[in-house]
Amino acid sequence: MDEEAMNEEKEKLLGDRKMSLRELLSHSRPYIAKEKLAIFLSLFLIAVNVGIDIVLPYLTSRFVEVLKGVIDNTTMRALMLIVLGYALLGVANQGIRYLQSMVLQKAGQRIVYRMRMEVFQHIESMSQNQFNQMATGSLVTRVANYTAAVSDLFTSVLVNLISNLMTVIGVLIIMMIISIQLSLWLLLFALTAGVVSFFFGKIVGKFFRQERRYISDLNAFLSENLSGMKVTQIFNQEKRKEAEFDVKNQNIRKAIYRVVMAFAFYRPFINLLYFGSIGVTFFVGLSIPLMAAEIVAFYLYLSRFFNPIQNIADQLNQIQRALTAAERLYSLLDVPPEVVDKPEARDVDSFQGKIEFRHVWFAYEGENWILKDVSFVVEPRQTVAFVGATGAGKTTILGLIVRNYEIQKGQILIDDVDITEIKIDSLRKAVGQMLQDVFLFSGSIRSNLTLHDDSFTDEQIKSACDYVNASPFIESLPNKYEEEVLERGENFSAGQRQLLSFARTILHKPQILILDEATANIDTETELLIQDSLEKIKNIGTMLVVAHRLSTIQHADNIIVLQNGEILEQGNHQALLKKKGHYYKLYQLQYADQEA
Amino acid sequence: MLFGRHVNKYYRKYWAFFLLGVIALIVVDVAQTFIPRFLGQIIDEDSILVDNLDELGKIVGFIMLCALIMFVGRAIWRLSIFRASTGIAAGIRKEMFDKAEKLSASYYHETKVGNIMNWFTSDIEEISDFFGWGTVMIVDAIFLSVSVLVSMIRLNPWMTLLAMAPIGLIIVWGALVDRFMSARWELRQKEFDRLYDFANENFTGIRVIKSFVKQNKEIHAFAKIARRNQEVNVGFARLSVFFDVIIEIILVAEIALVLGFGGWFVYCFASGNPIVVAGHPIELTVGGLFEFVGYIDLLIWPMIALGQIVSMRSRAKGSLRRISAFLDTEIDVKNPENPVKLENVKGQIEFRNFTFTYPGTASPALSEVSLTIEPGAHIGVVGKVGSGKTTLVNSLFRLYNIDKGSLFVDGVDLMDVDIASLRDAVAYAPQDNFLFSDKIENNIAFSADKPEHEAVVEAAEFADVKENIEGFPKGYDTVSGERGVTLSGGQKQRVSIARAFYKKAPILVMDDCVSAVDVKTEEKILKNIAEQRKGQTTILIASRVSSVMHMDKIIVLDRGAVVAYGSHETLMKESPLYQRMVYLQELEKEVEGGERRNG
Repeated sequence: MDEEAMNEEKEKLLGDRKMSLRELLSHSRPYIAKEKLAIFLSLFLIAVNVGIDIVLPYLTSRFVEVLKGVIDNTTMRALMLIVLGYALLGVANQGIRYLQSMVLQKAGQRIVYRMRMEVFQHIESMSQNQFNQMATGSLVTRVANYTAAVSDLFTSVLVNLISNLMTVIGVLIIMMIISIQLSLWLLLFALTAGVVSFFFGKIVGKFFRQERRYISDLNAFLSENLSGMKVTQIFNQEKRKEAEFDVKNQNIRKAIYRVVMAFAFYRPFINLLYFGSIGVTFFVGLSIPLMAAEIVAFYLYLSRFFNPIQNIADQLNQIQRALTAAERLYSLLDVPPEVVDKPEARDVDSFQGKIEFRHVWFAYEGENWILKDVSFVVEPRQTVAFVGATGAGKTTILGLIVRNYEIQKGQILIDDVDITEIKIDSLRKAVGQMLQDVFLFSGSIRSNLTLHDDSFTDEQIKSACDYVNASPFIESLPNKYEEEVLERGENFSAGQRQLLSFARTILHKPQILILDEATANIDTETELLIQDSLEKIKNIGTMLVVAHRLSTIQHADNIIVLQNGEILEQGNHQALLKKKGHYYKLYQLQYADQEA
Repeated sequence: MLFGRHVNKYYRKYWAFFLLGVIALIVVDVAQTFIPRFLGQIIDEDSILVDNLDELGKIVGFIMLCALIMFVGRAIWRLSIFRASTGIAAGIRKEMFDKAEKLSASYYHETKVGNIMNWFTSDIEEISDFFGWGTVMIVDAIFLSVSVLVSMIRLNPWMTLLAMAPIGLIIVWGALVDRFMSARWELRQKEFDRLYDFANENFTGIRVIKSFVKQNKEIHAFAKIARRNQEVNVGFARLSVFFDVIIEIILVAEIALVLGFGGWFVYCFASGNPIVVAGHPIELTVGGLFEFVGYIDLLIWPMIALGQIVSMRSRAKGSLRRISAFLDTEIDVKNPENPVKLENVKGQIEFRNFTFTYPGTASPALSEVSLTIEPGAHIGVVGKVGSGKTTLVNSLFRLYNIDKGSLFVDGVDLMDVDIASLRDAVAYAPQDNFLFSDKIENNIAFSADKPEHEAVVEAAEFADVKENIEGFPKGYDTVSGERGVTLSGGQKQRVSIARAFYKKAPILVMDDCVSAVDVKTEEKILKNIAEQRKGQTTILIASRVSSVMHMDKIIVLDRGAVVAYGSHETLMKESPLYQRMVYLQELEKEVEGGERRNG
């Protein structure tokens, strides 16, 4: 498999499929339809440009005719008229070119904008489960790159192809008018250039792919070996790695040089054709015989003839690539979102906070049950802790309450209403989620708390941070709430990230809370702040916790002990300890250390 | 031209290619300059030439000769100059890799691999481009413009003077374009990166967004960025189209100027009263005028090149500076002056008041460790995450410099040892089970120049991974890593153990490398260690006490210090920390319902 095919394989997403040209066009129509005017206008302007481009050499050749004709007192006037015409047309031509390019560029950028918005919105509507099945990188490429590639197809590749075709045909017609015989000769050269260019494009495309393959091969080797240098050094294998590197290094050099060689033939050859055609113009032109002015016209037209022909060949090769991008983009847009509101789902503004699981069965895939027949009731304002070994299903329960996933069997109810009867947005707005690995976005502390919602006031932000004990550390930062947050929040400690996550949740005024406690090592001081703020947060409403802190389980109204997706026992801390059952052992293992 | 200690030698190596390329370029430049002359001749003498096909044939023949010379010349300069520039790139790349292999773990600790990768890719490309296209631009800018200018002046100095003003504008414009456009280009790239990063972060943190019902806010934020991208792109297009259009307009003005004045000169000359400037009559024919126009056409490219060379060179200089800094990095871990070669290593290891602090950190990772590992002993190391287990064994490989007199192998101070001989004597199965993207056979036989298949199988058996490997369709030829089969964590760990065993080194270190394998496999491997490494020093770091309890001695680490060192039986009596570890482990088995989790 060559590199391109492999990359395409890697880039593939769920739902990618082949599309017929017809299907591609019908998907594209809405985008183009909106820019119909711009595209037609620019095609018209292009036609004008091509027209002027053809007239200018003619004017120049007239100059020769006038000067080679009878020189009298009208000559000077004729010359100046031509020069004036040349200058005016030339400047106008560039003005029109500017206008035309901008009309097209703007239209193209509008299309990119609209496509990006549509794709982004579509992706946002997909469920957590769908997200898990799609590589983030490939989604990003679709939003960022493929949109531009598809827009380019319409506003650059196709339009330029048309423009080049018009030029070639226009020049050919005017050459035919001047002299069919000479034109036919030159057509021979032009066709040779076109055919050579087309095949050269195919061949050099292969060379380029090979070059890219070797380059990415070397880059993979380098990044692997720079990261694993320790192993190489410990095993004393520097010499061998050096030899491996040399092979790859030479491969690249040779691959690049192969491209150089291809161009070292192609470019000079096209040039040879060009000068050859000039020679033919002189020779055939004078033996026909044509007038000097006509030969000059041919001479000037020739340079306007070879470039478009090379471009056309290249553009034909480009179309195929752009179509693949379009196919990928439209395939993604065709994937329907998985978790959506039922038509009869309703908005709920306030919840009492009673939560009930009735015989819930859940599997991420197939029959691989994560939860097996789980039933429990949480009364309003209670705090419930879920405990159990890794993989017992604790975190899954929390995710189901907010409909990150759909359950297969059973029912989940809030205030005795099935959660699928409630609009997802109102459900999630009511439930404040504090997840295990706190995800911070790059930006500022403020933007991470408000999540780009500008309706929060400074006072609200500050009081939320006060509430969860986050303000002392935030206010000790040089820029306070405007302090920069690096990617993933790596410039904050695990404890600080926890506090920020609490503040973020409190700021959004939840009525029910779910908390997946982090296991990370947190320094004692911050740990105390966290415990203290958790005590306060508990009072907001019903709270469900996957607990890793002793203090959390000690203060819970009810503890639900899970093993392999089933509830083993429940009760409060003291009662469960007395039972000396599974909880007792778990307690010894996971929590007893914290007593020290 | 670009000079510096690290590139000068390439001039010596490739001077012939450069010379040939430059000569070819000059020949092409000169040949190109002939063509307008023929156009002029045809225009002026068309009526004569029509009847004198011999003369016409000569002219056309000469054009064809020029065309052929150009064809050959162009091919030659491409082949020779780019031969040099690609060779220089390959040469620098090799030097850099050789350097990379000599740099110590501390360097890699402090320098991001991403940065080094950038030097290897974009910086080398920048330099290579300068030696390739940069050379072409410099030669053309000088020789093509001189060759054309000489012809122009010979034809008509006054017209040349007239034509030079707008042409000069092109140089200025070219320099401006380059400066403005590269700034705009960066801006455009920056906005694109912002869009890319935003989408990337949004999709990665989608759970948070959904849990706070912020999809709409995010869409609005994205819209702003997408809008900004739209604007910046339009702005960029506007500027680049504008620059193009201005150059074209300058050219239109130039041609109009030349045709206007030239037409007047030709008219006056043809009507018998040539214009006289400074005592010299201007004798210009219509053919001469068009010859002149042809020269102007040839002058555009070198003028644009002239404008761009400066900034191209400064970019290449920046790249060379970064690469030179890398190549000049001092190597900190190197052989002492009179290195002691370790031979017939028995495998005795002694820590004497050993303290180690990682470069760039404040507190030591290990402090005041004193203990002796007898030759041939099997040693277990246990302790919590961050207690210093890996540091303890890593110090054996001389990846960092350590204090003299604190660590001895077979009684020789590690700082006096010949590094290669030390590394020959130790084998290592790392914690992160790093494998190369290569055949499994080659991975296992990494320590040998040529893999011996039987030994590979033996090692695979030792690590209890033989059946897995032979279960793959390609067996030992299976390629691991991104481009091949993805091995599970446990399989990688075992291949890594096999790789260490294959070396048959006097000292074998295994860093927590059975954490992702199931109980049965672990037991097999432990049994194999006991049998096949008998009498050879073997150190096993483990997260579970059960992995090491049958070893000769166990080192218990806590917060960078050795808290106990002895056999399982001794430690059960004497070390409370060890007892607690054993107790917790028993509990863990019960809690997890007897099922050991994988991974």
